[in-house]
Amino acid sequence: MKEPVEQTRAQMVDHMEVQRKTISELQTPVIQVWEGILALPIVGTVDSARAQQMTEALLDRITATGASVVLLDITAVPTVDTAFAKHLIETIAAARLLGTDVMVVGLTTHTALTLVHLGVDLEGVVTRTTMAKGLELAFDRLGLAVVRRAPLVDVAHP
Amino acid sequence: MSRIPVIRVEDVLIATVIEDVTDSDAVALQSELGHQLEARGAKGVLIDLSVVGIVDSFLGRVLAVVATMSRLLGAPTVIAGIQPAVAVTLVELGVRLTGVRTALTSDAGMRMLREGRVGRHVGRR
Amino acid sequence: MSAVAEVIPLAREEDIVTARQRAREISRELGFGAVDQSRIATAVSELARNVLRYAGGAPGDVRIRALDGPSPERVGVEVVVHDEGPGIPDVHAALRDGYTSSGGLGLGLPGARRLMDELTIDTAMGRGTTVTMRKWRR
Repeated sequence: MKEPVEQTRAQMVDHMEVQRKTISELQTPVIQVWEGILALPIVGTVDSARAQQMTEALLDRITATGASVVLLDITAVPTVDTAFAKHLIETIAAARLLGTDVMVVGLTTHTALTLVHLGVDLEGVVTRTTMAKGLELAFDRLGLAVVRRAPLVDVAHP
Repeated sequence: MSRIPVIRVEDVLIATVIEDVTDSDAVALQSELGHQLEARGAKGVLIDLSVVGIVDSFLGRVLAVVATMSRLLGAPTVIAGIQPAVAVTLVELGVRLTGVRTALTSDAGMRMLREGRVGRHVGRR
Repeated sequence: MSAVAEVIPLAREEDIVTARQRAREISRELGFGAVDQSRIATAVSELARNVLRYAGGAPGDVRIRALDGPSPERVGVEVVVHDEGPGIPDVHAALRDGYTSSGGLGLGLPGARRLMDELTIDTAMGRGTTVTMRKWRR
């Protein structure tokens, strides 16, 4: 039977961990776009601290949802430099250790050339230019297909 | 005898790594798997790390060796249940487990091995 | 500023496990997140193994203590790994990835440096080796 003081200490430590995770999740919007598929839009500049926090939040969501595919969207990243590339590669490597397929979407010709110039090789990482294309591939990986049936009835003008 | 038991289920060799595994235990696991694969073969090897909170470069190295050794002996390896904290640490440490297939849970890992989905190609279903 | 250090002797390979488990527990008690606990414990594991492998059987130990800064944000942990071994002949080489004198992986020291916030080495023939590492809670 723990002493009352020690009990409170342990509770405090657990509480801090929960708080930390909550803050982390609020700052890193990981979206579950489908069962098994997570999307993480990366917006703005990413420094080392933010990169670590993003990675942790992403990995926690992967284990919580059992996701098998993650789409990292870099469309809104202003500068793709060596530091960002390193963070990206590390995030991808960590997610892959959890058994997840990671795809990077949102590449433009500019970012692609920048990566070439920097000598960054995203070898083994599937990339697509848009989220839609990434999603299509993700569905395919999961053995799913989007099928057009009859056109949707216009609710306002039936 | 290693403190990490190796059991055979559906012709897959399963090793559930315990929390406080010493370097000798890790090496013994590698030996044990090698012996079993040589003696009887297997459809695959599943290493469950779900209760392991600390994986350093030594254990990481052993896991990489086991994966390569098993593949050469005809049994693909899946490492299952790597904890998020461990994944981040391994990457920062610089341990490369490239080419080693991983799964979120041992259930998922078993499914992969049972269905023969552990190939050399990148990407999985 | 400092609390009393917990001392874990390094004599057998089981001590590597003891040292890293204690490091993780102490880090947890100090309020470090799960990932930082793993980083600290792993760094301790790497250095403890170095002592057992490369200190030629000389005695060594791990000392872990909490660091209380002037402000609540400055909470951290300090780990000092010491051995009475022959010392590291080329520290700069030892800090480079891949360097090893016995065919191992060579990630121990550079790896630990990446995982911790601060890492300093004091080593010389006859004086043994003392590695001091610190990590601060964010």
